[in-house]
Parts: sequence; C-alpha cells; structure tokens
Amino acid sequence: MPSTTFKLRKLIGVCLLALYLLLGVPVWYKLTTTYRAPLPIEYIHALHEDKLQDIHMVIPVYIKCDTYRFPDLHEAVQVQVNSLLNSKNQNVPWSLQLMPYDAKKLQDSNTSKGADYHVVNLVLDGFVGFSLAYDAKETTVFFDDSSVITNDLPFFIAQTVVEHAFELEWSELSSEKSLKATNSMAISYRPNIHVSISLLTGDGYPVSWEIDSTLKKYFSPLRKFLSPLVNFTVDTGILYYNDLNLHTLNTRKNVTWQDLSHSIDLSELLSMNYFSESASLNLAVVFPSEQNCKHGLSFINDNWDGFLVPQWGMIVVNKYPLKQNSSLTERYLTPIMYQFATNIFQLLGLKKDSQELISPSITIDSFKRITILQNIHKAEETLWSLAKLTQAFQTMSIPKEVLRNVTEALELRLQIVDMLNDPFQGDDELWNRALILSNQLVELSEAAFFHGEMVQQNFFPQEHKLAVYLPLLGPITVVTFFGFIRLIKEKPDDKKKRSNEPEKPTGNVVEKTYELEE
Amino acid sequence: MVRLIGIVGWIGLLNSVIGVVKADETSLKFQIDQDIDLQDDCNESLGNHEDSCNSGFLFNEDGSETEIEVTETIIEDAPRPTINLRDKEDDSIIVEDQIWYPYREHLTVKPLPKNYLLTSFDFNTESNEFIPGRPSTDFDDYSHYTVFPKAFKPILDQTSTRQLHLRFTRGFWDAESWGRLPYDGFKSGGSGVEIWAILEAASKDSAFSQWKTLVNSLSGLFCASMNFIDGAKTTFPVEAFHPMADSTLPLFDNSNKLYLIRAALANEPICTENLTPLVKLFPTKGKSGITTLLDGHKVFDSTWHSLSVDISTECYEQTDRCIHTLQALVDMVINVPKTLARNENPIPKPLPSDKLRCDLDKPYDAFHCFQLPYETEGSYGLSELFGKYIQGSSLMSEEPSQVCVEISDNWNSFIQVNGSLFATADDCFELKDFQQQDIYFESNNTNEVLDVEPVPVYVSRSLTGYGQDRGGLRTVFMNPQNEPVTLIYFETLPWFMRIYLSTMHLEKNAQSPVNISLDDILQSTYYMPAADRIRPTHLEYRITIPANTTLAVSYQFDKSLLQYAEYPPDANHGFEIESAVITVIDPTAYQLRTATLLLLLSTPDFSMPYNVIILTSTVMGLIFGTLFNLLVKKMLTVEEADKIQEGNSLQHKIQVVKGKIMTKSKFKYQEVKNDLKE
Repeated sequence: MPSTTFKLRKLIGVCLLALYLLLGVPVWYKLTTTYRAPLPIEYIHALHEDKLQDIHMVIPVYIKCDTYRFPDLHEAVQVQVNSLLNSKNQNVPWSLQLMPYDAKKLQDSNTSKGADYHVVNLVLDGFVGFSLAYDAKETTVFFDDSSVITNDLPFFIAQTVVEHAFELEWSELSSEKSLKATNSMAISYRPNIHVSISLLTGDGYPVSWEIDSTLKKYFSPLRKFLSPLVNFTVDTGILYYNDLNLHTLNTRKNVTWQDLSHSIDLSELLSMNYFSESASLNLAVVFPSEQNCKHGLSFINDNWDGFLVPQWGMIVVNKYPLKQNSSLTERYLTPIMYQFATNIFQLLGLKKDSQELISPSITIDSFKRITILQNIHKAEETLWSLAKLTQAFQTMSIPKEVLRNVTEALELRLQIVDMLNDPFQGDDELWNRALILSNQLVELSEAAFFHGEMVQQNFFPQEHKLAVYLPLLGPITVVTFFGFIRLIKEKPDDKKKRSNEPEKPTGNVVEKTYELEE
Repeated sequence: MVRLIGIVGWIGLLNSVIGVVKADETSLKFQIDQDIDLQDDCNESLGNHEDSCNSGFLFNEDGSETEIEVTETIIEDAPRPTINLRDKEDDSIIVEDQIWYPYREHLTVKPLPKNYLLTSFDFNTESNEFIPGRPSTDFDDYSHYTVFPKAFKPILDQTSTRQLHLRFTRGFWDAESWGRLPYDGFKSGGSGVEIWAILEAASKDSAFSQWKTLVNSLSGLFCASMNFIDGAKTTFPVEAFHPMADSTLPLFDNSNKLYLIRAALANEPICTENLTPLVKLFPTKGKSGITTLLDGHKVFDSTWHSLSVDISTECYEQTDRCIHTLQALVDMVINVPKTLARNENPIPKPLPSDKLRCDLDKPYDAFHCFQLPYETEGSYGLSELFGKYIQGSSLMSEEPSQVCVEISDNWNSFIQVNGSLFATADDCFELKDFQQQDIYFESNNTNEVLDVEPVPVYVSRSLTGYGQDRGGLRTVFMNPQNEPVTLIYFETLPWFMRIYLSTMHLEKNAQSPVNISLDDILQSTYYMPAADRIRPTHLEYRITIPANTTLAVSYQFDKSLLQYAEYPPDANHGFEIESAVITVIDPTAYQLRTATLLLLLSTPDFSMPYNVIILTSTVMGLIFGTLFNLLVKKMLTVEEADKIQEGNSLQHKIQVVKGKIMTKSKFKYQEVKNDLKE
C-alpha cells in the first residue's frame, strides 16, 4: 500500500534524524569532551569577594591582679578594647576576649606547655606604665591608686594591650591594606626553610672556620626558639676562587650600594638548589682575593660590612683578603652570627626594620596569627585563580583530584576559621596547630592549581577533534539531512496518483520488492 | 607613656650574644689597624709581586729562572712571620701552621701505540664526618662542607644511598692495540650514561621509588637525561656490579636491607654540559691545579673519553660517625697528530704539496703520492693538546697536585715552569703554586711505548638475522690466554626484544672445539624475563672460556610492535641497545663492555592512524548511506518503474517534442495549404 509506505518512510527518516540529534550528537560530545570536575566556583568567588565574612579572630587575654580584686575589670576593659578596635576600619575582623585570670585552668596548661595564654599582670606601683615580657606572652601593667580612682585603668589596659602587646595585629589587620604580603625584604612564609652559610674566598688558600661551635652556641637556640614557626635545616660550606665579583668594584671610587647590587654575582650560590626545602636563606662571608685586591676592598670602611639582600639573605664583605692557612675563630664569627640572627627576623617578615625585637615571644605569637590569616588569604587567592583559569579555558580538563584537593582545602579552611573564631581557645598549641593546618591549606590549594593534567590538556584544540571525526560525521550528516529534506519535499503518493494510472495489486509489489532485495 | 624594655633575657642567649658583640666591637676596630700593618709586612716580603688589583695571575712568560726561585721561597716562607704577628695581637682570625683538606688530584699521562695518548685525571675527596640517621631539622644538626661537594649529601640522605656510581663514556676503546682499560675497566661504562647505586630500603618497592628520586636529582645535577630511567630500564643485578668483598657498607637502620640497582642509557651523548658540573664539584673549580686543563672542547674531541663519579659511605665503629668518599675520574684517549693538526688548521683542508709526506719507495710525482703513516718522531706539550696551561697547584691538599708520566726509555718528559724545563727521575712532577706550567714530551719513536697489559678476554656482540619481526644476538668470547677465564656476563635488553632462551646455543664453527657444549661451560644462569613496559629482560650467566678458545653464544628473539606514541621522534634511526657488561672474576678482576647495538624495529607510517580513520569512516558512511536509502526511499514495482522511466526516458521526451513539432508543423502546413487553396 503506497500510502502506508510513505508514512513509514517518513517515520523512519524522522527516527533516524532524531537518533542522530538526540542520541548520536550527545554521545559523541560526551565521549569526546574532556572531564571537567564541578568545582564550587560560586563559593570560591564568594570567598574572593569576601562576601562570607566568616572570619572573626578572637584572642583570649587573661587579666591577673594580685594586689586588688577587680571583679568587673575585665568587662570594663572589654568595652574599652571593643571601642578602640571599632575606631579603626578592620580589613580582617579581630577582637580580644578579656577574662579574669583563672589560676586553675592556666596553671594546668602552664605545667605542660609553659606560658600558653596571653596574660596581663596588674602591678601596683608608684607610676603608670607597662612592660612586655621578653620570653613569655605576658604584659605587665603598672598602675597607681589614682588611676583606679579616676577609672582610667580599663582604658589604659586596653590601650596597652591593643596598641602594644598586639601591635602586629593592630597594624596589619586594622588598616586599609590587604593581607597580601607586600614586604619586599621578606621571603614568602614556608614552614621549612634551608639556611646556607658559606665562606667565600677569592683565593685558593686553605682556610678554616670554627663554624660548628659557633652555630651550636648561637644558632641552635634561635632554631629552637623559632621552631613553632619555622624549621631550619642548615648547611655550611667553603667556596674557593669566588669573591662574588667584588674585585671589579675596587677600581671605582664612591661605591654606592647600587653599584654593589649591580656587580655582585650570586649565581654560584643561587644555583645550589639541591635541598628539598622550597625556600632558603643565605649567609655569605666573603673575603676578596689577595691576587686581585692586596690592599683590601677600598669601599669597605670597617673591617667588614654586612649587606642585606632582599629575599636572599645577608652578605658579609670583608675588607682584607685572608692569608694562607687562616682560621676564622668564634670571636670573629659571633658578631656576624648575631647580625644574621637579627636579620633573619627581618627576612622572615617578623619585623619591618632592622630594630631589635623587644618582645620576641609576643611578636612570634602575633606573627603566627598573621601568617595563618595570610595563608588563608593566599589559599583563597590561589583557588580563585584556579576558578578563573578553568572558566577562561573551557576545553581544559579538570581531574577529580583537583576537585578533591579543592574540597579538602575548603573544609580545612573552615576548620581553621573555627579555631580562630573560638573566643576561649588561644593557647600556643592552638596557634601552632592552626599554623600547620594553614600550611597544609596552602599546599592543597597549590596542588590543585598546579595539577599537571590540567595544563597538559589545555592546548588540545577543539578543531583537532573535529578534524579527526569529520570523515565519519560528514557523510552521515549529509546522508541523514539530505535524505530527510528529500523526504519532506516528496509529494505523498496519493497526490501523485491522481495524475497517474491506478495501481496494480499489492501482492505484486511485495514480490517485486523481494526481487529487488535479492 | 613610659616604656620599659625587656626584663628577662630570651633564654639568656641573645643577651650573652650582645655582650660578646660589644666586647668584639672594640677588638674589631683594633683589628683594622693591625690588618693594615700585616698587609705592609707581606708587601715587603713579597717584594717582586707588583700591585695587581686587576691582573689575573701574576706570572708572565718572559720571567727568568731566578724569579721562580724567589717566588718559591716566598710562598714557603710568607706565612711564618704572619703567624707570629697574628698570634700576638689578635685572635679573631688566626693563621694556623697548616690547614689541609682531604682533597687530592693526580694526572697520569701515558702514551699509547700509534700516536695515541691516554690522560687520566683522578680526583679524590672526603666529606666531613656526620652522624648517620639524624634528621636535618634537629636543632643541633649542621651539615658542614669543606671540599666535598655540597650537592651530593642531601640527595644521598634523601634516597638513603650508600654507594653511587656514575659513568659517562663515549667512544671506542681499541683493546687490541691499547690493552686493558684504565683501572681494569671498573671505572668506565658502556657508551652512554650508566648509573648504579646501593640503596638502603625497607622493601624493593621503596628502594625503587628512592632510586627514581635519585636518578631524577642526578639528572638535574649533571644535565643528563637520567630522568628517563624508569622501571623498563632498571635492573637489580644479582652477581655483577657487587662491590668488592673487602668493603662493607653500613646500614643506618638495621631493619632495612641494601638493594643494588642499575640502569643505563645507551649511546646517550656526553658533552660539555656533563663535564662542567663535574669540574664544579671540585674545590679548585677549574681555576688551579690540573682541573684547569679540563676544557669541554678538547675532552670531547678525543677518540675515547670517560667521566666517572663514585661515592661511597664509610663508617667508623668507634665513633659511630660516617663519611662519604668521592672519587671522580676523567679519562681520555687523544689522537695526538689529529689534535695537533687541528690546532694548526681548525678548518681541515688538504695539505699543500710541499707538506705532503710521500713514501719515496713508491712512485711519486706532482700528481702521485703514497702517504707515509704519521711521523714517529716528535715533541708536544699538554698545552698544545688541551689548549691551556696548568695554572698552579691545588692549595688545599696536603700534597701538591701531581702529574705522572708513564713512558718508555726512548721518551723524555719535562715540566715547563716559567719558560724553563725540568726533569725528574721518576717522571712524576709536583705542580708549583701559582705557576703556569706545562708538561712536555719528546721521543724519537712514538710507536715504542710501555708494553700494554694483555686483556684477559675479548668480547663482541652483534645482531644477526634480517627482517622486521625476528632477529638474533651473537656474542663472541675470545680468550687469548693460556688459562681458562671465568666471567660473569650481564645483559639487559628492552622488553620489545622478546628473547627465546631455549634457542641459546653454542655456535659450531671451524675454530671452536668440537667436544664442548654450552652446559659444560655455563655455570649459573639468572634470567628475569621482560614484562611489557614494566621491566627489561635481565640475563646474567657465569661462563668459563677455555684457554686459547673462541666461542660464540647466540640466541633468537622476536621484535614486538610498539604503540604509536612509544616511537621516538627519529624512529627510523633505530633503538639503542645498551652494552653487555663482562666482569672477569678469574684469573684476574677485569671489567669490559661490548659496544652498544642499534636495533631496527618495524617503523609504522605515522600518517597511518589518520588514513585508517578516514578509510573506516568512509566505509561506515557508505554502509550507513545504503541502509538509509534502503529504509527511506520509495519502493515501486517494475512496471511502475518502467512507466515512470518511460515517461522520463530520452526517447519518450524526443517523441513528445517530435509530436509537438509535428502537430505544430501539421497545423502550419494545413494553414499554408488552406491559404494556397484560397
């Protein structure tokens, strides 16, 4: 029956087209597209824009007074502290939780960990003043009776604590500038840092130095002291025939530090990247060559001058060359070690200038918190860069591992934020743990960003894929579409029939069809 | 506001440091004057040294002999008055009687037959003592380095490597005329890069992962492609490569075991980028002593060269401390006439006729010349061969750098110091500090050299067969001696050579003794079959070659097809097969390696995949098109089709047109007829 074949054929044509469009195209697309794990881009964007504002760092501070009993002093100080903190625009919200000294709780922790919480000691004295402890997280506030009577004491405590004890937070967090490390001198924070101490001499004479005893005496305590923050690995070495190219400066007059920085050649020291730590600091003690500079380097005024090289370390340039068989004694090395130890604080970013640290304990405590916040910020920025990258390159693959890293990083971030926000937790152990976690956070976010497969697949062009499949897709598309168009254009048989002769019996049609198939 | 400063000292330490600093500040100021005085003193004694703030080395070539003597005495005497002065007044920088570090350098030069010259540079150094197994983050742990290169210990520590051997060798050692390899072959590798190490690890897997770290680190250190070493190139040797029996290696953790791992990159190019890091390892850094001769242009211009680094760990039981020892060697064989000719003519061009050395016994004229072999008489200096003079000596060693010449009686050798030549009885020359020196050789017959030591066995290996699906390996052992030689044959083959160990047999030929079978001479066999892309074939056997016998062992293998991406960019070049290592254990200890082989695998036409895609797609497109048309096109009976065809056929169309014309013309004809009638 001709009328039914037309309908059937039309149906087949439609079915094939539908198969092509609804099954073929999606399957082809699915099978040939690179895998892109669904990253929480919205959430990362919100973190980047700081829309969540879930960080509000609270540091517990205990007030201790042995002479008088002030039952409501901590509340009064709290009010003063809050108003003082609110007077400045905070880029990262932070506050202090003032509490009365709880001997039982603090003593317990003291026995195990030492001075864990920040304690403000109130001492009755003839004058008003304060002092920051050198080796403990302790602020001593001296007050006299008149300050109690005039009720100036809470304000005075608040001012001391906020502006002096928590000076680093006050300057870093309560200001317009962002948390981004802008210090050009300091290296970016890493939990493990390699310190390379080198003795360089322009000649090949054998020299020795009492470096081991000096380091054990003066550097080991520093390593121990900074260990919650940074772990150092140290190596020392003697390099011969290398004066960092300093002899070229000797012919010049009025050598400025710019000349020095232009002509100094650290290549041999920089190329030493055999250690596994990702960051390194250097100390180079340089002696000029006797061959080239017998009368010493003219631009060095004293016996030696120390120069700080940003993000690299320190160079100690000696005026006179070493004699054959010279040995540098501890007496010579100690002042250099001392200056290097002072500079390490600056190179680590613990302080901005070369001033001495007055209260290293408190500063390191604050630095930990700033580093935690900086790490969180850094991780957020890295994740945001990852989000931008994946959005910019739509054909780039995003492996599952990246998603897992991102998820883990975000969970870790919440965990750290919870630790920071807890107003009653704030001992050394907590900050150390948070610091370690924040380092992990940075690692995870960087692992996600620098995933090898993502970059590898980046330059696989979409056109290439099309070119490979075109020999298959071309003929099939042409056949399906043109066949379908012809089918639509074809007039139904009964319309044609009117002009043609009547049909023969259908049985004959079936027979003829068989013949055709055969 | 009053501000009180630090009450309690920070662990009492920084304060004590401040104290010292304050004390030191005064002493330092005091020291300046004193140092100036010292300078003046030195100037007096070093009278003939001019102020040389911008000059390099002091000595000009025109200097006389007396001048040398003066300088020599100064060098020896200068420190002494300084010690006294320093000791009296200052103790921040003291001058000690003698400081020396465990660093020795030695150069041996040995003429070989046919105008070749073997130069062997030998550098030895030791690290400072260290406590094994202590973490480097320990507050009191400091790694000190004096002359031992800083780069190695962190790598060795990280990978728990107790012994490391690196070989960079290239060129052909002509054993038949040059005799034994230097150091009995134990310090040179097969052509390319070879590395083996003994690592301490808990399991084989962890040993392998440590090994991966090690080769990757060394790859960066020596600028070699060792990062391409993976499981498919790595073997765990069973008998070969084991350290000599007299040395025992320490275990830092007694629950661990030692693993010996080896890999080689066959025919890897060795170049300046491998030599420069090696020279930088030495404290003299190529600025003094014999390292000044090591110039990449000349080293790699030689016929055969080998760089080697061996690091080992030694522990002292009394003190529980360990040291690393390092021996680095640079050996090369220079073709002297070729090198000298290159100095004269950097761009090779034909010699002018007057410089041609023709054999006068044979006919010669302006157009004919039978060239004589190279001159056998001559003199040359090391500076001509290396393009550089030896600058001074290594100052930090206990003994000065030494150059020894191994020559026969018809040779003379001298050291040239500042224009004058000196000779010694034993032909060993100690290098003088700061002097520009050169070693000269002269001989009336350069072909007459010290007798070369005979090689215990000659081994050569070659590929046999033709075609791209199978082949054979044939190893010929030749024992020229009057006593049997027992050796360990070590061979690793890539996984794409699938060997059939069952086909291994002793080839029968005219020279080989008839009554010997492979089972008689093969003592033990270790065979680890390859796993595709995971590990190579590892074959080791101990074999005894009877006296004055030549044997050929051969076996067959199949070549497998590689995956498309596994072919190197120059797939038609072939695949380098690393050399087999032969370690003679009896009667003497000797090691030699066969040449590398070049295996040709069937190389696909790399446009093939795209052609296959196009062909298959076309076929699939055709099938689909036919099927689609069958399903969708209208079916008609033959009559209908005929009818339609009739209607559409050309004949029918012509008929129709004809009919139309006819009717029209008929009509016109009728009209004309009618008109005419009228």
